[in-house]
Amino acid sequence: MRFAYFDGRLGQGNVTADQPLRAGGPGQLPGAPAAVIATTALTKRYPGAVTALDALTVTVGPGITGLVGSNGAGKSTLIKILLGLLPPTSGTASVLGTDCTADGTRIRMLTGYMPEHDCLPPDVTATEFVAHLGRMSGLPATAAKERAADSLRHVGLYEERYRQVGTYSTGMKQRVKLAQALVGDPRLLLLDEPTNGLDPAGRSSMLDLISRIGTEFGISVVVASHLLGEIEQICDQLVAIEGGRLLRADTISSFTQSSEVLLIEVEEGSQQLATELARRGLEPVPYQKALLVRLAGEATYDAVRDAVADLGLPLNRMEQRRHRLEELFSDEAAPAFETAGGGDVR
Amino acid sequence: MSADSAPAAGLPATVAAGHGSVIHDIGYRAYDGQRLGRAQIVRALCWYSLRSAFGIGRGVKAKIVPVITFVIMCLPAVVDAAIIALSRTHTRQISYDTYEPHVRILVLLIFIAAQAPELVSRDLRSHCLPLYFARPIRRIDYPAAKLAAFFIACLAMIEIPLLLLYVGTVTQVHGGSAIWSETRALIPGLLLGAAWALLLSAIGLALASLAGRRAFATGAIAIFFFLSLTLATLLTKIGEHGTGPAPPGSAPSALARLSGLISPFTVLDGLRQWLGGTTPGEIPNPGHYGVLYGLMFLIFLAAGVGGLIARYRKVGVA
Repeated sequence: MRFAYFDGRLGQGNVTADQPLRAGGPGQLPGAPAAVIATTALTKRYPGAVTALDALTVTVGPGITGLVGSNGAGKSTLIKILLGLLPPTSGTASVLGTDCTADGTRIRMLTGYMPEHDCLPPDVTATEFVAHLGRMSGLPATAAKERAADSLRHVGLYEERYRQVGTYSTGMKQRVKLAQALVGDPRLLLLDEPTNGLDPAGRSSMLDLISRIGTEFGISVVVASHLLGEIEQICDQLVAIEGGRLLRADTISSFTQSSEVLLIEVEEGSQQLATELARRGLEPVPYQKALLVRLAGEATYDAVRDAVADLGLPLNRMEQRRHRLEELFSDEAAPAFETAGGGDVR
Repeated sequence: MSADSAPAAGLPATVAAGHGSVIHDIGYRAYDGQRLGRAQIVRALCWYSLRSAFGIGRGVKAKIVPVITFVIMCLPAVVDAAIIALSRTHTRQISYDTYEPHVRILVLLIFIAAQAPELVSRDLRSHCLPLYFARPIRRIDYPAAKLAAFFIACLAMIEIPLLLLYVGTVTQVHGGSAIWSETRALIPGLLLGAAWALLLSAIGLALASLAGRRAFATGAIAIFFFLSLTLATLLTKIGEHGTGPAPPGSAPSALARLSGLISPFTVLDGLRQWLGGTTPGEIPNPGHYGVLYGLMFLIFLAAGVGGLIARYRKVGVA
C-alpha cells in the first residue's frame, strides 16, 4: 500500500482526517493544518470491468495541489467521488474531514467545483447566473448577489458581466466557470482542466488567478490537468495518477529536484569544452549546438565559468533550464536531460 | 451597484486599500453569514424556474410566448365579464369547470411546448447540470423543483382566467346567495384546474427532459399532445357516427366513451365528467367507464413524474 502525505505550504505535521473543520475564516491558516482530502484504498469499478480507480491511497494537505494524469487516468472519477456524487466500489474518501459517502451535501457546501467542459447557458448574464448558483450554494438572495459581483471581479470580469454569456470568449467563459465555483466561499476548490481551450496568454492568466486564490484567498485548490508542465508552476504539491493508481505524490520541490540543468552554448570549441567539463566531473550531454550539464548548485556555475575561461572560448549563452515534469514520469527519460529540448526555459 | 462604474476596472487587485475608497482592491472577503439548508435551496431553484417559465429574468424574446398565451387565455374571461357588465343580463356564459375548452387546450399546448423546454432542455443543452449537482442538494431535488415550478406556472395559466371570470361575475350579481352559488361553481373549477396543471406539467417536463435541443423538445411535446388529442377526437367521432347517423337520444357507443383515454386532455375531460361535471365537454360522458379515466389520469401522472425522476437519475454529473 502506497501512502503519501504532503506537508502543505502551511501545513504542519500529520493530522487525522477526522479533525473538525474550523468554522469560518479564510481557508487554512498556520497552526490549523488539516488533511483536505484523504482516501484509503479507494476503488471504483464501472460495469463492464472498467476500473477507473484502483486502490488509491493519498492524502492531500492545504495549498494548491496538482492532480495530474493522462486522459482516462481517473481524475474525473476521483473528483466525482470526492463530491459525493458517485459511490466508490470500495475504500474510503473524505474531504475536509467529512466522509464522502456519508455526507456529500456538507462537502458540496464547502467545495467549489469547476467542470472541465462548457457548462454555461448562453442566454443569461454572468452576474445573474453566478448569483443564481450562489443561491444554489446556500447563500441568501442579497449575499448571493454581492458575492457574485465579488467573484466575477476577482476573476477579472468587470463591466462585461452584464453581458450575456453567449457573447463571451472562451477565456471569459472559463473565468465565469471559476467565479461560480468561488461564489459560495468554499474551503476547497476542485478545478477540472481549468486551462482547457485557452491560448497561451489566457493559460498564464488563468494560472495566475488560481495561484492567487490559493495564496491570497487562502482557499485550498486541487487542479486536475493532463499538462504537467503547466500546473507545476503554481502547485505546492503534486499527485500523479495513471490507470487509476497512484504514481507519485509529493511536494513540488521534491518532484523537481535533480531536474534542473544548465545549457551552455559556445561559438566554437564545443567538443573541447565537453572534454574539459567532463574532466571537472560534470558529465556534459550534447544538445543541438550546445551542451547540457546537471545543475547542482553554485558549484556547477563556477565549474562552467572556470572551464570556459580557462579554454578562452567565446560564450554565447548560459541558461538554467527545467524539465517538464512529464519527462520525469517517462521511463525513457533515464538521462533526464536528453529530452530537455521541450523544457521550460527559466 | 453604482460603485462598479469606478474606472479602476483594469487594475490588478494587488494593492490593498486602507479605507473602503478603492472599490476594486478590496481583496477576498470570506462569507461567514447565514447558509441556507437544502429545503430553502430547492425553494430558490423552484422560484428561479417559475420566473423563467414566464421569461422573467431573461431577454425580451423569452417573454413573447408566455405573455401572448396568457393574454389569449384571459381573453374569454374578460370578454364574458364585459358582456355581463354591458348587457345587464347577469348570466355567465363560460363555465368554470371547462372554461373555453378549445382556447384552453390550444393555449396550454403552446405554452407547455414552448416553456417546458425553457425549464429543463436549456440546462441539458448547456450542460450546466454538473453545476447544480455539485451543490448541496440531492439528485431528486432538481426535477422536484422544476416540476413544482412548472406546476405553479400552468396553474397560473389556468386559474388566473378563472379568477378573473369569477371577479367579473360577482361584481355584477347582487345578494349573498348569488355570490355563494358563484363561489360554489368556482371551487370545482379550481380543483379541476389543479388536476390539469399537475398532469400537463408532469408530462410536458418529462417529454422536454428527453431532448437537449429546444426545437426537438418543443416538437416532441407538441406532437404528443396534438396527435393524441386528434386521434382521441377522431375515434370518438367514429364511435359516435361510425355506423351512420346515430338515432337521436341513443347512448354513445363504447368506442366513443373509451377513445378519450388516449389523450391527456380528453382524460382530464373524462375525469371531470366522472367526478360529476355536467357541462358538455370534448368527449361524451364516459358513464360507467368513468373510473377508467380516473385510473388513466393516475397512469399518465405516474409516467410523467416517474419518467422525469428516472431521467435525472441517469444524467451525467461531471
